[in-house]
Amino acid sequence: MIKKADIILLILIVAAGLIISFGPLAKEAGGTDVRVTLDDDTYGIYSLAEDRTITIEKDGHTNVIVIEDGTVRMESSTCKNQICVEHGKISLKGDSIVCLPNRVVVEIEGEGGEADVISG
Amino acid sequence: MSSQAKTPRNSDRRTKLLAISAMFAALALIFSYVEVLIPIPVPVPGIKLGLANLVIIIALYRMGFRYAFTINMVRIVAAGLLFSGVFGMIYSFAGGILSIIVMYLLYRTDKFSMVGVSMAGGVCHNLGQLLTACVLLENTGILSYFSVLLFSGLISGILIGILAYVIEKRLPPFTE
Repeated sequence: MIKKADIILLILIVAAGLIISFGPLAKEAGGTDVRVTLDDDTYGIYSLAEDRTITIEKDGHTNVIVIEDGTVRMESSTCKNQICVEHGKISLKGDSIVCLPNRVVVEIEGEGGEADVISG
Repeated sequence: MSSQAKTPRNSDRRTKLLAISAMFAALALIFSYVEVLIPIPVPVPGIKLGLANLVIIIALYRMGFRYAFTINMVRIVAAGLLFSGVFGMIYSFAGGILSIIVMYLLYRTDKFSMVGVSMAGGVCHNLGQLLTACVLLENTGILSYFSVLLFSGLISGILIGILAYVIEKRLPPFTE
């Protein structure tokens, strides 16, 4: 049922797949900037490479965002459900942490903007 | 398969192949429909089992490239109008045409089994769709998505190839 040429073809396709997966795209996968959005307005854009802590205060709500070692996490939030804090670290382009009660969104962007297209 | 008879017998054979083609196209359409009904629980669009390709491969082996190609085109147009819309049809055309041409070329070398042919077909189908997406959306970043689609096409292609091999062996000859 399976011939020798099939195996060779399989190996070739898998090799091509691995090269594509771990080749130039590995560099592109990580984002470069962190965009923080508050109430639909951009609060600030920060570099992912620089470690820093961002504290956002609005209407008595406080969100603390920490950028560390190329990852971003929501350190603490005064919201009820704490979904954003439990989300953990993000580091890839297109990833985001959303704190819906406080209307804070943390997104990671690459150089080419937020383009993240899904083909049908 | 190889009926060397004169005109009346030959037209008999053609009629028979025509009827079988129509049945195959209908079957391929049903398979497309079944796939729409049963989504694979993977959170990535574009991953499909490609059941319709089962029919196309068997058509390719039993009736040749022209019949298989036509059946595939009929299926894509019908399935496009019924399920995925005209825009989805463009993707299907790109994937379908690329995969059937590659499958035919591999088939003609006679070095590959059905599993290998189907495997390459599955990968090429996804590649064709992805390239179309790049052109339509004017964004080459989508190509990063290819590695996922490559392996999914590989796996589904192998599965369909094994299935096609088993079924093709059990089918009676189409024309005597």
